[in-house]
Amino acid sequence: MEDRKAQAEKIVSDMEKENVLSKVEELIKNNKVSFEHDNKKYQVRLLNLSEKEELDMLRRKKFGQLIQDKDILLEKDLIIQYKSRGIDINEIDDQIKKLVAEDVDLQMQLGEAISKNETESILKGYKDQIINLRVQQQILNTQKTLLLEFSLENQLLNHVAQIITYLSLDILEGDTWQRMFSSLEEFQKYKDENLINKAASYSMALQYI
Amino acid sequence: MDNIYSKLRLLAKSVKAQNLFVSAKELQGIRLFRNVVDFSKLQELYLSYLYMYDSINRDIIIDKISNKIYESDIYEDAYLLFKKGNKKDEKKDNKNSEIHLIMGNKINFPKSEVK
Repeated sequence: MEDRKAQAEKIVSDMEKENVLSKVEELIKNNKVSFEHDNKKYQVRLLNLSEKEELDMLRRKKFGQLIQDKDILLEKDLIIQYKSRGIDINEIDDQIKKLVAEDVDLQMQLGEAISKNETESILKGYKDQIINLRVQQQILNTQKTLLLEFSLENQLLNHVAQIITYLSLDILEGDTWQRMFSSLEEFQKYKDENLINKAASYSMALQYI
Repeated sequence: MDNIYSKLRLLAKSVKAQNLFVSAKELQGIRLFRNVVDFSKLQELYLSYLYMYDSINRDIIIDKISNKIYESDIYEDAYLLFKKGNKKDEKKDNKNSEIHLIMGNKINFPKSEVK
């Protein structure tokens, strides 16, 4: 009984993986992906030239607003503020660089071991050390990201992500695709967060990695 | 769509994708994407993964390495990094040996050969 349950779970998990993979495949082949949400069909696609110009215009507009706001600091100024309070972000950067250098060094040793067809236990030894270094890098990167979360640069990036999602989401009406939102304000006031999150994950994968 | 990179790798390493990639390199009529210009970042990344797995597959075929490399992304990256480093060293060595062939004042020919 347990075996059958485990098998069923594996089949469902494989199907989910397959589905995600086929969505990625669709994104790569067509530069767009369609999906259903609440019995309606949507698609996210790569921006065309005029939409890219609109994105650029909205980005510049937002930058103009942010730079005038005295409560919002540029990353470099935020780093100085933190330093005066005893938090040294440059030191975090140095630690990250050191870990990356160690990581590369271990990778070179692992690569050599692979080319010499060394035993699994030797390869695993290197792999575990690399994983350990990457966990440390991840912790430091997260720490840095959280500290700089409210910098002007990060606020602008978040805004750009919103604009891209607003511009790239279409809805199927009849048999033609129409832009889902006619303005950024309409997008920002939209209540269905599930739809926005789904569209955002596709649009980020497509145009922002 | 979390961790798009691992999904891209998984797709690029599949037998289907690798067969298509090899065919597309050899036959002009076969295309990987619907568009032929203006590749998205995602497509560029996917192409680099296709080349990466093609290179690994070739080394497995000629028995340079075993297919246990596929057990981990870390093994794959490490091997390619090492291979790239080795190629750089080879180029450097070749460059150095080329310098010795250039005639100039600083070259001292072995005395035993001078009669």
